[in-house]
Parts: sequence; structure tokens; C-alpha cells
Amino acid sequence: MSTLPAFANEPVLELRRAPVRAQLQDAMDALSPKLPLRVPVMIGSGERTGAELLSTDPGEPGRVVAVSTRATEDDVAAAVQEAERGLRTWRALPAAKRASALIRAAAWLRERRLEVAALEVRECAKPWPEADGDVCEAIDFLEYYARSAIELDAGPDLLQVPGERNDMHYAPRGVAAVISPWNFPLAIPCGMTSAALVTGNAVVLKPAEQSPGCAHVLVRALRAGGVPASAISLVAGEGDVGAALVAHPSVHTIAFTGSLPVGLEITAAAGTVAPGQNHIKRVVSELGGKNCVIVDSDADLDDAVPAIVSSAFVYAGQKCSAAARVLVHDAIADQLIERVAGAARVLVVGQADELATDVPPVIERSAQERVNRYAALAREQGRIVARVEAVPDRGWFCPPTVAIELPRDSPVLNEEIFGPLLAIDRVRDVEDACDIVDGLPYALTGGLFARDPATVRYVRQRTPVGNLYVNRGITGAMVGRQPFGGNRLSGTGSKAGGPDYLRQFVEPHVVTENTMRHGLVV
Amino acid sequence: MTDPHPDPDDDQLERSIRQIGADLASAFPSSARHPLRSLDARAMDFASADQELKAALFRFVDVTPACRSLDDLARHLREFLREVPEAPPPLAAAMRIADVKAARPAVGAAAAAGVRHMAHRFIIGETPASALGVLSDLWHHGVASSVDLLGEATVTQPEADRYAARCDEALRELARAEAGWPSRDVLERDSIGAIPRTNVSVKISALTPLLRPDAPELGRRDAAERLRPLLRRADALGAHIHIDMESLDSREAVFDLVLDVFSEEEFARGPSAGMVLQAYLRDSPEQLERILAWAAESGRTPPLTVRLVKGAYWDHELVQATQHGWPAPVFEVKAECDRNFEALTRRLLEARPAVRIAVASHNLRSVAHAIAYNRMIGGEDRDLELQVLRGLGDQLQDALASRGFRVRTYCPVGDLVAGMAYLVRRLLENTSNESFLHEQARGTSLDVLLAAP
Repeated sequence: MSTLPAFANEPVLELRRAPVRAQLQDAMDALSPKLPLRVPVMIGSGERTGAELLSTDPGEPGRVVAVSTRATEDDVAAAVQEAERGLRTWRALPAAKRASALIRAAAWLRERRLEVAALEVRECAKPWPEADGDVCEAIDFLEYYARSAIELDAGPDLLQVPGERNDMHYAPRGVAAVISPWNFPLAIPCGMTSAALVTGNAVVLKPAEQSPGCAHVLVRALRAGGVPASAISLVAGEGDVGAALVAHPSVHTIAFTGSLPVGLEITAAAGTVAPGQNHIKRVVSELGGKNCVIVDSDADLDDAVPAIVSSAFVYAGQKCSAAARVLVHDAIADQLIERVAGAARVLVVGQADELATDVPPVIERSAQERVNRYAALAREQGRIVARVEAVPDRGWFCPPTVAIELPRDSPVLNEEIFGPLLAIDRVRDVEDACDIVDGLPYALTGGLFARDPATVRYVRQRTPVGNLYVNRGITGAMVGRQPFGGNRLSGTGSKAGGPDYLRQFVEPHVVTENTMRHGLVV
Repeated sequence: MTDPHPDPDDDQLERSIRQIGADLASAFPSSARHPLRSLDARAMDFASADQELKAALFRFVDVTPACRSLDDLARHLREFLREVPEAPPPLAAAMRIADVKAARPAVGAAAAAGVRHMAHRFIIGETPASALGVLSDLWHHGVASSVDLLGEATVTQPEADRYAARCDEALRELARAEAGWPSRDVLERDSIGAIPRTNVSVKISALTPLLRPDAPELGRRDAAERLRPLLRRADALGAHIHIDMESLDSREAVFDLVLDVFSEEEFARGPSAGMVLQAYLRDSPEQLERILAWAAESGRTPPLTVRLVKGAYWDHELVQATQHGWPAPVFEVKAECDRNFEALTRRLLEARPAVRIAVASHNLRSVAHAIAYNRMIGGEDRDLELQVLRGLGDQLQDALASRGFRVRTYCPVGDLVAGMAYLVRRLLENTSNESFLHEQARGTSLDVLLAAP
């Protein structure tokens, strides 16, 4: 393959221009007659259909978006076996060949990006700009990891002395199980899957039961790009399928993005070595967050308020990076609360396919119930300063809510809610705020609004979070620009879209050859 | 850019531009031929030469109103300057003093005074009432004005209501005071008819918290609800309302709002109103054609005034486009932008009386070009309005007034917190290496300044 041009992020749609917006309806019209999609169990070149799993439009639960076949334990075993077989040829290919399959998969997605975005709008209630951003991020992962893999393949330089030749290179670990969430239904499975594939692993993908349709698109893209069917299998289903996959003795790496409880279960299960299993499983996990935005007294509220509101409420707060809690300096707390509350009151709650929508429905009924439980608790323990009650009747809508005056041990302030509920907390100063952040079990993203460079230095030194955003919103990490991932109970510290991510999927091998023979350096 | 008029008139036009430009230059108040020199903020001189220092000073100016005490202010100043590798001696001294806790209030006070002083060159008062003195002085010197109410970003409905109320109050207060001013024919009449004395510039982004680049409809409807009462008020008072333009994110909403509202039966006969065309936008020629097509179709009287500006969000537009991987919406080469400005000027001058034209520029060449072309096609001087910004175009304003042109000065009103974004944009413009004022201040020869772009 000829040398790839330098990586650049796939440009998102310029939706501020009317002709660009007009394309969206066309894309939805093109998708609609194809629904519901059929998603079979895909193992190697085989496809099996059977007992059904339905994914529905969260904004219109009667609308079925994809009819998937539920994978069984037998399917999981067959898929892993197929992956072991596929691995042998796939890993033997030069890295550049594997990289070019990713590049072609990216091109395949690029050609269909509007229709794929439309599918995200329907299956996950991703509003258009978010859906488009997710498709672009998926393309970015493919393009970025393709380049990273070629670089990694060259191996690092080692110290060389006369009479010996030292070589270090990275080999694939083996079969990778990818267990992905629904909130970035293409980009996250794409990132984990393509990273595993491009480094020579074979993958069994178990997508979230809420978004198998999007995962199906990913598998089609990868196969269309030239990844052999035996190297990427798809097993849709619920938790039992994931558990079977994690427990399988032939799985080497488990890449998981999702909730903390499930992540801990996976870590525990992966720690058990089955009879006949000759390796330690590696778990790459990206878990929850309770992300705080610190606002110092010298912050520019004209910037802070819109950034906080969008970080908290875009996609109904269902991003692991979303803002959940604001820690504001006493001196400007009243002003900030008034303005954030006022800005939250004008949020438009509506369907994901309408561009005016700020807050779409949450993913499913149980999510709606969970968010409402926390909102009720917030009302009981503190004070609600904004709540948009005007939400559509049907669909899993939750009123965007801003709560204040909560006791510091309130679950609302400490647990991940994953919905449109923002809590604002007063602090004495930035140090006090940092103490609070330190006390949380999570350390994913964080925000700081402050203009004194000394304050910025102080917080960046102290904060445990994986991604700190200064004077801007705290969501929307871009591949190659903001390598993304959390610390503490937020994950294993891997940084998706960053320079070290691929290392999670390889094992280093060093070969040292004696080049002296009878006193002659050969 | 292809010139639509490539004929022998070009030579004549260029000669005329040089003549008019030279005449205006000679009419600049002699004490300060160079506007930048007249800004006694020495920091601006330093800043133009050193990007890091410029950044430090801008950040300081920007944070000033948010500082809680003089000590806090001095600490900020020290921290910003610390990031400048080689501070000029006066600033290095300030930094050393700011390190001494006891001295900080003094440094803070001096710095705050400096910022206030700088701000007052651009912002004429905290309220319309407190600005009346300056506005009246301008009028007596033969200069009209447009008042712009600076405000914090509108993110809530009460903020939008407050801004609308301030605009309404400004209209009433200005109209009352200005009724007592002496008549100034050149400022009050063109060949179409009367031109209001009271002129208020309004920002659509401040009239609604719902402006969304991806869904312009929402904010447009909400802003229209607050704009209509202002138009009624202006109509009743015989005042002019000018709808400002901001960044490209809100362009569609503002553009459509203006053409929609002024198509409404109720506003078909008034008030006097206007909108803005930004010449740095690559698609500005198409936008102008849309305005002209609308004007021809609606036949509204009085015609809309189109204020032609270069545009004040150049850096923002470029950074945003680069971050998103979008094509730059603005001209990246200054000469292209200047040529476009002249092409739009000609198109607007030719389109009269379907529209009125106001050329808002501090570029002597652009201004001289507008005057010369207007004369060349047989237009009267009074059918071309020239506009400048308070604090930046003061000398040009005086020169234009002394030569009998109708010049209107854009006068921002508001407190320092509200004015900071405006102030930083102006300072940026003033210290840009590409700025006409900067060229002029550096002593570039008149021939070069007046050469065709």
C-alpha cells in the first residue's frame, strides 16, 4: 500500500447550512422502507436466524428498527472457534494489508454516512448532529488505527551492540471479545473492533441489545473493506451472551465499554483461568463517570453556561463524558445557578429526527425509570431549579432537570445517573472542588472554567480524571486530538483514539540473535 | 474575482480614488494623522509586535471585570505576563511589583484604570442616558450615530426580555433627547427622503436564547416576537432600527428573520430599517443578490439600508472551520476580501434606490472607492452613507464630516463586563498586522494605502 496521507478527522456535516440540512430528510426517507433491518448471527461466512431480539425507536417504542437473532451459548462457542481459525491467516498478513482493509471500510462508511446516521437516529434516538458525529468518529477510528498499526508494526529501536541483533515487535494476542454499548452505537464498537483487528487479532463482537442494527452495519463495513469473515463475527444478544463470551477459555482480550457493575463482573470472570487455558485474559474497559465541572470565580459565564448545559443535556446526558455535577465558587454561584437554570428551561425536548431537539428520549423504559427515581430523590433531598415538564407522551422522555442544595452524600451527587439531570454544588474555592473530585470513585472527564493560569496549573496537577477540559464543554473528544478514557473505577486507563491504544491488543516479543560465529560478525 | 466593469473607466476611477483619498487624508486632524499613535495605550504598540504579549494583554483585559478585588486583578496580570518569554521592561517591572503582596492593590488599581481608559475609547457610556453627551457632541460636529447596546450573551428568556426592554428604553430616550438637536440637512435627508436621527443597532442573538446554527427556525421565531414591538416603537418615534450581523452560525436565522419580518404587511411602510452584509464571506455576493431580489419584489419603503462591512469574526470563522474540517467561509487573503468589498460596493451603489447603502470601513481606499464610484455613475454624495466605529475611526469620521459626507459613528453603550467581548474584538482588529489602521500607523505611504487591492 502506498503511504497514507496524514490523519485528519472526518469533517462533520456543516448543518448550519440549509442545503446540508435538506439531505437529512432524504437519508431518512431512504432508510425508512428498509426497516426493520434483519440482523442474523454472523459466524464466519455463515448466517443463522432464529429467536428474535427487537430493537425499537426510543422515541416511538412501537417502531421496530431491527429484528436480530439472539445468539446462543453454542453460537458463542462456534464464533470463538471460527475466530481461532480465522486468526491464523489474518495475523499472518502484513500490517499494511490489514490497515488497508480498515481504510476501505472507512470509505464504505463514508459513502453511506447519512443513511448510517439515520439508522442511529432511529435505533438509539441519537439526534442528527450526534448521529453524524458518531459515524465520523467511527471513520476516524478506522483511519487512525490503520496508521497507528503501521507505525506499531515497525517496532521500537533497541540498543544494538556488536555481535548481537536485537529486535522487538508486537504480536496479536489472539481472539478478542468486544462488548459494546448503545450510546455510541457505531463509533465505540468500531474503535474497539478495529483496534483488535488491525493488530492481527480476530474478533467476536457482542453489541448492546439496544443497538444490534448499528453493529451489523459495522460488520458489513469491515467485511466489505476486506476483513475476512472468519476474523469478525457478530453475536447479538443480552448479558448472557456477553458472559459466555467472557468466560470462554479461548478468548484472550476482552474490550468492554459500559457500566461499572458489568465491568467489574467481567474483570472478575476474566480472572478465572479455565482448565486448558494457557493465558491470562486482558480486560480493556471503559466504564462510567460522575463528571464534574469546576467553575472558579473568574470564569466567563457567557462561555461556561452554554458549555455546561450542552455537556449535561446533549443526547439526554447519555454519554460517559457528560457533565453530571457543577462545582461552582460561592462568589458567582447565584449568578451561575440562575443562568444555568434559565438556559435549561429553554431546552427543547423532542424527537431525535428534529433538528430543533436539544434533549431526545433516553434509551429505554428502565432508563427512564432510573432517571425519574434520581429526580424524585433530588426533589426530596434538595431543590429543583429547572425542569422542563413539556415532554412528548410516547417514548422514553425524561424532563431535563437542574437540582441544587443537595447534601454532599446524596446519591444524586455521587452515583452515575446517565440521564438529563444536572446537580450544582457550591464550593469555597477551587481547592474545595478538587477535594470533592478526589473523593469520587470515578475519574473520567472533568471541566474547569477559570482564567488565571495558576488555577489551571493547580487543577491539572491535582485532578485524577482521564480527560480534563479547560474553558470548554467536556464532551465530544476527537480521535487523535483528545485520546479518551478514564482512570480509577472509570476504566483501565486505555485511551481510545490515542497513540497507545493499540498496545492493549498486542503482546511484545523480543528476539535476540547472536551474530558472532568463530570470531566473525556475520 | 472577476471585475464586472473592465473598461477605460477604470483608469478614471483609480485617479479619482487617489484624489479623494488624498483629500480625505489631508483632512485628518493634524494632531493625530495616525489613529494608532493617538491611542495612548502604549501596550497596544507592544502588543502588535509580539504575539505572546498580545495574548497576555488580551487575556488580562478580558478577565478584568470578573476579578473580585485589586489583589485578584494584580495576580491575574502577573500570571498572564509570566507566560510571556521576554516582557518589555515596563511590564517586567509591573510583574516584579505584582509579586510583592503589599504592592498588588496599587498594580491592580493602575491596571484596572488602564483597561477602563482603553474601554472608554470604544464604549461611550454605561447607559443611553450617560451616552447622550457624546452623541450630542458628535451631532454638533456633523456626525450621526448608531447606538449599540452591549450585553452579556443571552442564554435565558429573562435575559432576552431585558435586552429588548433596554432597546426599547434606548429608542425612547434617544428620540426624546435628539428631538432637541439642531437640524443638520446632510445627516437627515438623502434623495429618497428623511433619514431618522435616532438609530439603534440590534443584535438578534441577544433577542432570543434559542438561536441554534442547526435549527435557525426556532430562534428566528422567538426573536421575531421581541423584534416586532421594537419595530412598532421605532416606527412611532420615527427612529431607525439596524439589525446587526454576527458570526456565520447565526447568519441564516438573522437573514431570514430580516427578510421575513420586513415582508410583513405591518412593517411594509416603516420603520426605517437596515441589515448588514459581511464582505469577508465568500458567499456574500449571493447574499446580496438575495437581498436585492427581495427588495425588488417587496418594494418596501423606505428601502432597507444595507451596511456593508468587512466582518468582525474573521479569526473565529477560520478557527471554527479548521476545527471542524469545513472549507473556510471567509476570504483568507486580505486583497481578495478588499476586492470583494469594492465589488459589493459597486453593486449596492448601482442597486439604489431599491436599497440604501452604508459603507462601513476604516480602509481609506475602500471609502474613497465608494465615493469615487458613486460620483462616476452620477450618484449624489448624500446617497452614500459612510460609517465608522467609535474609537477606531475617529479621525476618518472627522475628515469625512469636514468634507460634507454623511458619516455615522457606531457607538457601543454598556458596562465593562458586557463590553468585554466587543472590546477584545476591537483590540484584535486594531493590532492585526493586516489592519488598515495598523498599516497607516506604521507610516505606509498614501500611494500604497490607496492602491487597488
